[in-house]
Amino acid sequence: MTRDEPFARFVVWTLTLLGFVAIYAPPLYLLGVSFNPSLQPGLPSPSEATLHWYAALAGERALLAALWHSLVIATGTAVAATLLSLLAALAYVELHARRATWFLVVVLPMFVPGVIQGLALSTILTRTGIKASALTVMAGHLLWAMPFAFIVILTSFAAVRRSFLMAAADLGASRWQQFRDVTLPLITPGLVSAFIFSFLLSINEFTRAFYLAGRQNTLPVVLFGKMNAGASPTIYAMSGAIFLVSVLCVGAIAVRALLRRPQR
Amino acid sequence: MAIAIGIDNVSRHFGPLRAVDGVSLDIKAGEFFTLLGSSGCGKSTLLKLIGGFDAPSAGRITFDGKDMAGIPANRRPVNTVFQGLGLFPHMTVAQNVGYGLRLRGLRGKVLDDKVAEALELVQLAGFGPRDVNLLSGGQRQRVALARALVMEPGILLLDEPLTGLDEGLRQQMRDEFGRLHKRTGATFILVTHNQDEALSLSDRIAVMHAGRIEQVDQPQRFFDQPANAFVARFVGIEALLRPETVERHGDEGIATIAGQKLPVKLATTAQSGSTVIAVRSDRLVVGDGAAPLPGATLTVVESVFRGLHRDVKLAFADGQTIVVAIPADRDIPAVGAAMKVGMKPGAAIEISSSGMPEAG
Repeated sequence: MTRDEPFARFVVWTLTLLGFVAIYAPPLYLLGVSFNPSLQPGLPSPSEATLHWYAALAGERALLAALWHSLVIATGTAVAATLLSLLAALAYVELHARRATWFLVVVLPMFVPGVIQGLALSTILTRTGIKASALTVMAGHLLWAMPFAFIVILTSFAAVRRSFLMAAADLGASRWQQFRDVTLPLITPGLVSAFIFSFLLSINEFTRAFYLAGRQNTLPVVLFGKMNAGASPTIYAMSGAIFLVSVLCVGAIAVRALLRRPQR
Repeated sequence: MAIAIGIDNVSRHFGPLRAVDGVSLDIKAGEFFTLLGSSGCGKSTLLKLIGGFDAPSAGRITFDGKDMAGIPANRRPVNTVFQGLGLFPHMTVAQNVGYGLRLRGLRGKVLDDKVAEALELVQLAGFGPRDVNLLSGGQRQRVALARALVMEPGILLLDEPLTGLDEGLRQQMRDEFGRLHKRTGATFILVTHNQDEALSLSDRIAVMHAGRIEQVDQPQRFFDQPANAFVARFVGIEALLRPETVERHGDEGIATIAGQKLPVKLATTAQSGSTVIAVRSDRLVVGDGAAPLPGATLTVVESVFRGLHRDVKLAFADGQTIVVAIPADRDIPAVGAAMKVGMKPGAAIEISSSGMPEAG
C-alpha cells in the first residue's frame, strides 16, 4: 500500500487535472477570444488584447434586449418553480400511502425531451389562441425546472423530523406556526438551492424557448442565430461577460463562506 | 394547576391492529402515574391520545371532566417530553425553552426571566445561548424537560424519557423527575418499559399488555397481589405453580401441589376460571429457619453460582420447580438431595392464570 502511494497519487492528480482542463479550458479559451481585435476567432497575442468588443456590446441592442428578456424569464421561472415545488413537497410529506405516485407525477416532465415538450406546448398555445410571450416561455421553463427544484427541496425536508413538528404542536403552535417557525427555517438552504438551480436551468434553456418565444427571443436563441449568421465577435464578449459575472458570484459566495466559518 | 384525567373505554385501532383496546383509567390530579409495558403494548399510543397527537377510534378522554374530543395537541394544557426529545436544531437552548411562551405572546424581560428560571430548575443555569446540537445527552434531556415545564402544564407526559441514556444519567434524571414532580405539583404520566423507573417514581402504575390494562395499583401491590400470571411474570415473580386443588377458608387457603400442602393467600376478588400459585422467592426460607414454618420438602435439581448468592432450583414430585436464593458461602446442596423450604406469610399467592405460558 505505502509503496504504491506515489504512483497512485500521480494517477489521481493527473486525472483530476485532466478533468479540470476539460471543464475550464473551453470557456477560458472563449474568454480569450473575446479580447481578440480580429473578426476571426482565435487567441489574441497579449499586446493586441482589447476590450473593443465589450465596448461594442453597449451598442448591441438585440443582444442586450435578449439578455434582459432571459433574466426576466429566469427570475420568474425560479420564483414560480420554488414556490410550486415547496407546495408539492409539502403535499408529498402529508401524503403517506400515495407518495410514490405523487413523486412520479411531479417529476415526470423532466423526462420529456425538450423538443417534444416545446412543440406540444406551442401547438396547444396556437390552438387556444394564446399569444407567444415571456409568459409562454416561462410556462415551458417551469415544466423543465420544477422537477429539479422539487427534488432539491424534498431532499432538504430530511432535516425536518416529525418529532420537531410534534414538539411545536405540543408547545401550542398551530399548523401555520409549525410551518413558519420550524419547517421553513430548516428547509431554507433547499429553497435557496432550488431557486438558483431553476434560474440557471431557465437561463440556459434553448429548445423550449425556441418554440415558445414570441417576438423577443431569449439570449441562447439569439446567440445561436448570430453564430450561424457568422456575425460580429460581440457574441464572444457577451459570453465572456456572462462567464466573468458567474465566476465573480461564485467567488463572492466562497469568500463569504470562508469569512463566516471561524464564528461558529 | 394539576389536572385529573379520565379515560373512558378508549380504543385506538390501526386497521386490524388494536393498539389500545377498551382502556378505562382514572388518573388523579397531581398523581405520578406510570404506563408500564414492553414495546408494542400500546402505552405510547395511549400517551399520544392523551396529548392530542392522535384521536381515539372509540371512547372518551376527559380533563377535569371536560371532554377533549376535537381539541388538538396545540390547545391542550399538556406538555410532553418526547422519546426523541424533538429539540429544535436551529434554535439555541433559550430559544427552545422560550418557544412556547413566545407563542403565548410573552416577550422581553418577562420571557427571559421565565426561561432563566426554567433552566435553573433543571440545573442548566447559564446555558441559554448554547447551541442545542452541541450538548450532551443528559443536558439535551434537561432542555426538553425545561421546555415542557416552563409552560407550567397541568399534565406533563414523559415518553420513555430515559431511553438511550447511560446508567448513571438514568439514575440522576430519575431523581430529577421525582423532585420536579413534587416541586411543580402537576400530574405526571410516565411511559416506560423499565420496571425500576416505574417502581421508584410512581404513585400508581398501570401494567399494559396487548392494548389492555392488566393491573392498576400502587407499586408494592404488584408484588403482594399481582392480578394474574402475566403481571406476576412481568414484575419478576417467575415461580408460577399449577395446584391440584385449592381449599378455601375465608381469604386463606391450602393449595395442594404434587401432594404437598402449602398455605396460600387467596385473591381478594373472586377468581373465575383457572388459577395458579405465584411464589415470592423473597419470602422463602431454607436451612435452620425453615423448620418451624409451613412449607414443602423438595428435591434439588441444580444450583447456579450468581456472585452474591447461589440460585438453587428445587422440584416438586410432579416436576414443577421453584428457585430459592441461598447465601454464596453456604455449602453447595447436592443434586438429588431433599431440602425443606419454609414459607413466610404471603409467600404463596393464588392468582388468575391469565397470561400463563402453555406448559410444555
